[in-house]
Amino acid sequence: MDQLDILKKNWQSQTSDTPHFSTEQLKGLLAHKSTGIVKWLFIIAMIEFFVFIILGVISHFYNQSSDIDVIGIMGKPFYYGTSILHYTVIIGFIYLFYRNYRNISVAQPTRSLMKNILKTRRTMKWYIWYNLIYIMVVGMIGMTLVIPNDPQIVALMNRPEMAGKETLMYFVFLGVSFVVFLLICIVMYLIYLLIYGILLKRLNRNYKELKRMEV
Amino acid sequence: MSKKLEKEFVKQLNENQNIVHKICRLYTNDQHAHNDLFQEVTVQLWRAYPKFRGDSKFSTWMYRVALNTAITLYRKSTRRVKTQDYDSVQFKIEDQQEDDEQMEQLTLLYGAVKQLNDIEKALVFLYLEDKNYREIAETMGITEVNARVKMNRIKTKLTKIINP
Repeated sequence: MDQLDILKKNWQSQTSDTPHFSTEQLKGLLAHKSTGIVKWLFIIAMIEFFVFIILGVISHFYNQSSDIDVIGIMGKPFYYGTSILHYTVIIGFIYLFYRNYRNISVAQPTRSLMKNILKTRRTMKWYIWYNLIYIMVVGMIGMTLVIPNDPQIVALMNRPEMAGKETLMYFVFLGVSFVVFLLICIVMYLIYLLIYGILLKRLNRNYKELKRMEV
Repeated sequence: MSKKLEKEFVKQLNENQNIVHKICRLYTNDQHAHNDLFQEVTVQLWRAYPKFRGDSKFSTWMYRVALNTAITLYRKSTRRVKTQDYDSVQFKIEDQQEDDEQMEQLTLLYGAVKQLNDIEKALVFLYLEDKNYREIAETMGITEVNARVKMNRIKTKLTKIINP
């Protein structure tokens, strides 16, 4: 008989100091809320959806109240076209998230459960990537169009000492905007990596271990 | 959810709570963490209960949910102060006929099992619960062959831990 079978022989008769919960105590436990990772995944996803939707709405109001006619400069078809596209994509992501989330069932085999959780997380990863790229692309196009029309910048360019340096200054402004956008994106991405990294560290480790068995 | 359902669930949970305790003991090292995990398993079982159709035994379904909670869903609360209420390798058996030497060996073995990783523990647990390889494979979502191979490797690993 091998080592484990000795333990197996005595396994069912094991006792412990752990209290056996009464029916009343068990009933009390039912009222508690889950603190598991799936719940956190859901909360984080809701925050992500919320943040980017709010960000879009804020920038819309900002553009409307701005001294510069941003919408006019960008052209209504471009401005509203990108906005409609943006929200359509977000709705698409919400649907994908909802579908993945519903597939997570605690009663499924361990490997499928882990796979489904990772799939849900991947959807959110793509969502973040989409938003960062959207901010970069639309932001830079907007900047390219708006900078030559900004009254303050125009005033600066009209100063005598700026004569002949307009194009250079124009690119400096664009370059600075690009770096600022890039920094915002990097910071957001790092925050996201950290949050999911902490949350799913154990799951990733265990999933790798399960996958290793297949080899 | 209806009172009837709750009553039925609590009755079944009560009858099978030892299974959950055994899992908690295997995956945690102190009383507080044990209760914490027990709580989370109960919540997950209760939430999944309406979908439990009874086409498998309650206990079989329970193995799955409880192990999945322990391996995948449960987050150890980090703010908790670690306490050592119970010896992490404690293993007790009901009948005291076993001699001291055998008891010592059992404690040693149990201690070795506790050193395994999360997935290995799950396989060993199911094995100790007298599940066959098909059931182990189904619970974990791997093939029967892989479950067998892995079990053999775990046995070798356990021998190495005990006799370094």
